[in-house]
Amino acid sequence: MSAVPMPPLRGLRQAPRHLLVCEKGHARHARSRHAAHVRDHAYNCRVSFLIPECGVLPEVLKSAIADVGEYYLVRNLSVHELVAHEFIDAFVKKGSCYALTYNTRIDQDNTAALLPNGKLILSVDKDTYEELGLQGRPSRYSGKKVMRYIITIDLTDSGFHPDSKKHNRVLWALREKKPLEFDFLLAWYNTGAEGSTLMSYFSKNQIQALKPKITFSTLRDLQCPVLQSNELQGKPEESCGTEELFEWLGAVLNQVSFCYFGEPKLAYWLTLTVHGFADSPVSWRENEHGFHKGGENLYNFVIFRNLDYWLQMAVGTYDDCPP
Amino acid sequence: VGAALPVDVLTYEEKTLSAILRVISSGLVKLWSALTLMGFYQNRRCAFRVLQASPFLLALSGNSRDLVL
Repeated sequence: MSAVPMPPLRGLRQAPRHLLVCEKGHARHARSRHAAHVRDHAYNCRVSFLIPECGVLPEVLKSAIADVGEYYLVRNLSVHELVAHEFIDAFVKKGSCYALTYNTRIDQDNTAALLPNGKLILSVDKDTYEELGLQGRPSRYSGKKVMRYIITIDLTDSGFHPDSKKHNRVLWALREKKPLEFDFLLAWYNTGAEGSTLMSYFSKNQIQALKPKITFSTLRDLQCPVLQSNELQGKPEESCGTEELFEWLGAVLNQVSFCYFGEPKLAYWLTLTVHGFADSPVSWRENEHGFHKGGENLYNFVIFRNLDYWLQMAVGTYDDCPP
Repeated sequence: VGAALPVDVLTYEEKTLSAILRVISSGLVKLWSALTLMGFYQNRRCAFRVLQASPFLLALSGNSRDLVL
């Protein structure tokens, strides 16, 4: 009988790492990064507003919500169709096209995503990677024995034109060598220009136009924390810091009944929380995102009356530090 | 687990039989294991399924894995 070395049991008590970063800015400041952070986080499944002391929703918000466009679910779509030049010319090179595989798990299944900058990201298991034969790199979160690879294809690259070796190889790999097919969530934002729509382009596939589900609720007797935009750490007896606010907001949105604060005070701020897809292959920009015990990649704005804001970005274990 | 490791029940919803539990980070594995291995309660068969786990309570209010279209 031989002894097998056991990993130290203290490993069981270590919590997986996670990160919460907070930055303060002012919306009208020339170098404010609030728009960039929002734009760089491509795939989001839920947006929540919390507006204290608000009995009636402001018209400007009502109309912004009403103007939210459609997105599409296309069933059994082959990935090679996204690499076809007709598709690239019609949607990738014009406006912003987003695609993400629906119902795939980033820690188990093959996943694909198309970013609005034209990069197609394939997150595949080892067998698929070897069968595809396309150049990629090991996943950052795969551990010593690499079981997951990331392939990034720039569809707008000048070297990717219809007759190029690159394009032909990719098309061959995805169409013949190892065809990959998924249900895709798609969205396309284009200002002005006439042309095809996703609905007409994929009319031969099973395509469904969908609109986000919108719900409103009024929370009565909700005691909100006092926040001072300059005091990110909070001020004892005066205001709460960013971490306390983040936790309080979590309690409110999950309907945890807690009595956090003594006296009710007027709140001169509102929050906007955006949840990313747990199974997206990227978080911000092209930073690889994975699912360890959770796939959280979310951000929360606290917007003050004077347009100062706090931006909190939270990620889990298999994530880069947010930008 | 509850006696050796403090666990808070933050919410419980009878309709969906779901709850949000809170435990100290170092107790996560113990709690998760205990829930996984719990097959009986008061002589009745039962099973616990962890739907979502996160160090951020806010993250639990949005789970894309629940998205059904």
